[in-house]
Amino acid sequence: MDGPRQRILEATYACVARWGLSKTTVEDAAREAGLSRATVYRYFPGGRDELIDAVVSWQFLVFFGRLYEEVHGATSLEEVLDRGLLFARRALIEHEVLQKMLEIEPDVLMPKLTVESNRTVGLIAGFLVPYLHEHGMAEGVEIHEAADFLARMILSYIASPGHWDLGDPEQVATLVRTELLAGVVGDLRPAGER
Amino acid sequence: MRHLEPYCLTVGLARLELVRDETARDPGPDHDVAPVPVRVRVIDGALSCIARQGVAKTTLDDVARAAGCSRATVYRVFPGGKDGVLGAVVDTEVSRFFSALAVRMGEATDLEDVLVAGMTEAATRVTEHPALANLLAQEPEMVLSQLAFARMDEVLAVTCAFTTPFLGRWLDQPESKRVAEWATRIVVSYLLCPADGVDLTDAADVRRLVRLFVLPGIRALRVPEAGARTTGALQSHNPIPTTKGEAS
Repeated sequence: MDGPRQRILEATYACVARWGLSKTTVEDAAREAGLSRATVYRYFPGGRDELIDAVVSWQFLVFFGRLYEEVHGATSLEEVLDRGLLFARRALIEHEVLQKMLEIEPDVLMPKLTVESNRTVGLIAGFLVPYLHEHGMAEGVEIHEAADFLARMILSYIASPGHWDLGDPEQVATLVRTELLAGVVGDLRPAGER
Repeated sequence: MRHLEPYCLTVGLARLELVRDETARDPGPDHDVAPVPVRVRVIDGALSCIARQGVAKTTLDDVARAAGCSRATVYRVFPGGKDGVLGAVVDTEVSRFFSALAVRMGEATDLEDVLVAGMTEAATRVTEHPALANLLAQEPEMVLSQLAFARMDEVLAVTCAFTTPFLGRWLDQPESKRVAEWATRIVVSYLLCPADGVDLTDAADVRRLVRLFVLPGIRALRVPEAGARTTGALQSHNPIPTTKGEAS
């Protein structure tokens, strides 16, 4: 994925990190990437709006790519969720650019994140299906329905943990075994037994 | 969360059944002696303007026209101008929303019902609210920026504080709090990102979610934290009374 498109995205991201979403222009991105405006427009004919949307999409995929790296070696459904929630919450808090945008431009960022997040429900659900399949479902629960439910709950807790402290592995384990999995799977084994 | 002015709260509670209809501006022959106060007309006028043309395009002139008063009168009642009016509209609508929720949840006779009633009512109020529907379609940033990350945590806290007591008949306080927050998450998630085949304004769909995912989760929550990691913790040693009529 290296090439002008990627270079433009990275340059735009650098500009956004510096100046914010609203103030970043096609000129800024072109200058940062060392390319002409015409080249940027060739890759992003929609101009600034398309560029900004593409950067948000790309960063969203980067974030969930890191999450995938973190959990894909897990051997059980519980482990996927434990590790995933701990990692994602920490990564989100430590994501300086995201936190800055949320503070200064929530009105610009939020609609874009909602669109991305809705796409991500399907991605996360698809990732969970094999684990659910292997684990076995509770009676009467359809696997895709459960995966969809888990995916949207995961996104909800990561973004807004409410009264849960997702930095505490004990609390994460409790959350996973109650609000997330209790109704979904037939039986839950203790952590570390699988 | 905004501070709820007592006056707005009273208006919201007392006029629960007048939501979004014209009778608010037309008190009818029986009410000749007590005309609708100008403050209420301004708030209702602003609400109908927002439902029609959104927040950005609504001017104080539009609000004054809808309220049947002058722009100067709007300023007299709301010295803060448009922001002041919008604040009062939000306060009024939020208190109406919670009032409606209280009515439905207060009527429930068991834990399953109180959850189904609360979640269905919340989803229905939000979905069918004309001004909110217009905002989500035309100016989504106004709504969406309130429903994620730290601001969503505030929404969770406020909704949780309001709904927790309604669960207290069946669950102890920490359990009620957890479940209230969880139910709020579920409603917000399915509203912002609709799932195929799940319609939260349909009580049957909500009941299915509650039975499949929420009630088993509550049973698991009831077990002391220390036991939550063991197999036994997730079985129904402490079944929650959910049978109809049990509470009566």
